[in-house]
Parts: sequence; structure tokens; C-alpha cells
Amino acid sequence: MEGTSGGFRKELVGKLLQLHFKDDKTKVSGDALRLMAELLKIFVVEAAIRSVRQAQAEDLALVDVDQLEKVLPQLLLDF
Amino acid sequence: MGCEHLEGIQAKHVARCPARGRRDVRAPFCRRGDGLRTWVRRGPCGPGAHPSRRLKAAVHYTVGCLCEEVASDREIRFSKQTIAAISELTFRQCENFAKDLEMFARHAKRSTINTEDVKLLARRSNSLLKYITEKSEELAQFNSEQRAKKKKKLEEENQKPVEPAEAAAAKKDNSSL
Repeated sequence: MEGTSGGFRKELVGKLLQLHFKDDKTKVSGDALRLMAELLKIFVVEAAIRSVRQAQAEDLALVDVDQLEKVLPQLLLDF
Repeated sequence: MGCEHLEGIQAKHVARCPARGRRDVRAPFCRRGDGLRTWVRRGPCGPGAHPSRRLKAAVHYTVGCLCEEVASDREIRFSKQTIAAISELTFRQCENFAKDLEMFARHAKRSTINTEDVKLLARRSNSLLKYITEKSEELAQFNSEQRAKKKKKLEEENQKPVEPAEAAAAKKDNSSL
């Protein structure tokens, strides 16, 4: 189910979220952590794949920041 | 150049700085008003620094792995700057996610963020919401299967003590023959 390919580790996700909580008492349940890891993985993979598609549409062999910039607005709207 | 305690730096006060390990006028020790000497620390590692550099590096590593997979799948390459940009992006997006999740939980009068909050976070795109909902149901099913397994294992262990007693009794019978 999880850990099939690269992904975010639960502890990392936990620490990343803890960094920005306003209240010290806020905690995250284990299941929510696993779901957040999935969400972050999808975020990264979407950003990567959309940039690749943009590069392929422009007939390039290297995905550069310009391609990422073009797909960024829609990506942020979708998340 | 100068420290908070002295008007000017006297050459004889310059010594080997413990942080930099070399003679450095910018990190002298100075004499405080009470006559004690103290090191004046400079640099980015002052009090209240965020330990986020290690986290950023960890995110960068994970993002790099994921991008490598995508790249080899599509037979294309990512520039280093692109991977760095995606990793920075992910780190910043986490801040938005964290704040939203905290508010969702607080709105429901909870202090622990649960899967419902995460599902609410994924509401903007229909396919994303569908995927996250499916994953959450898979997780719930996985958890209930684990619980069933544990329960079964506990029941089996409760029955075990009976068997060794029977075996010992059988052995006793054989030896007495």
C-alpha cells in the first residue's frame, strides 16, 4: 500500500507540519500523517509530471525552471 | 565592528575565538562592566534560529528521489534548479497546509488533526479529493484488518497455556510406565 516507490516519511511530515502550528497543543493523528505524506507525494509528482509535459510540448530534452514556472499557477490553484 | 560591551576593540583582547578557531578581530572577547570576560558570538546561529535547514534538506532529498523516478519513467531529465525549486515549493506549501489543518481541527473543537481535516484540505480538485478519499478508506480498512489480526492472535495466546500442561501430563504417564 505505502512505500512502493519514493515517498515522504511520517516523521518528516510530522516535523514539517509542527513547524508551522500556532498552538503547541495541536497534534496530528497517525492516519492523518499517512494521508498527508500521500498528498505531499502527489503534489511533488504533479509538479514534476506537468513540467515534463510542458517540456515535451516545447520539444525539449531537459526540464528547466521555465517549464515549471509555466505550470505553477494551475498547480497552486489545484492544491 | 565592535561588541556591545566595549566602545572600541583593543588589540590585546583579540585572541583565539572558540567558534572560529582562529584569531579574529570580529569575535573577540570583551570585558563586561563587572570585569568578567565573555565571548561575543556572531553569525547566523544566534538564539531563536529555526532548525528548518535540516528539514529542507530532507525534503530536497525526497523530492529528488521522486523526480528521478518521473524522469526515468518519461526518459527526460530535470535540471538541478528545477528540483531545488520544486523542493522549495513543497516546503512553502507545507506551511499553508499546516495552518489550514490546524484551523480545521480547531473549528471542529479538536486539538488533534485527523483524516477528515486532510480530506477537507484536498477539496480544490475533484480527482485529488477522490484519490485522497480512496486512500483514507484503504487506510481505515487496513487498520480494521490489523485490529482483527491482533485480536485473533490474543485469543490464540490465551488458549496456549492449556497445551503445555497436557503435554507434561502425557510425558509423566509415559515415564511412569
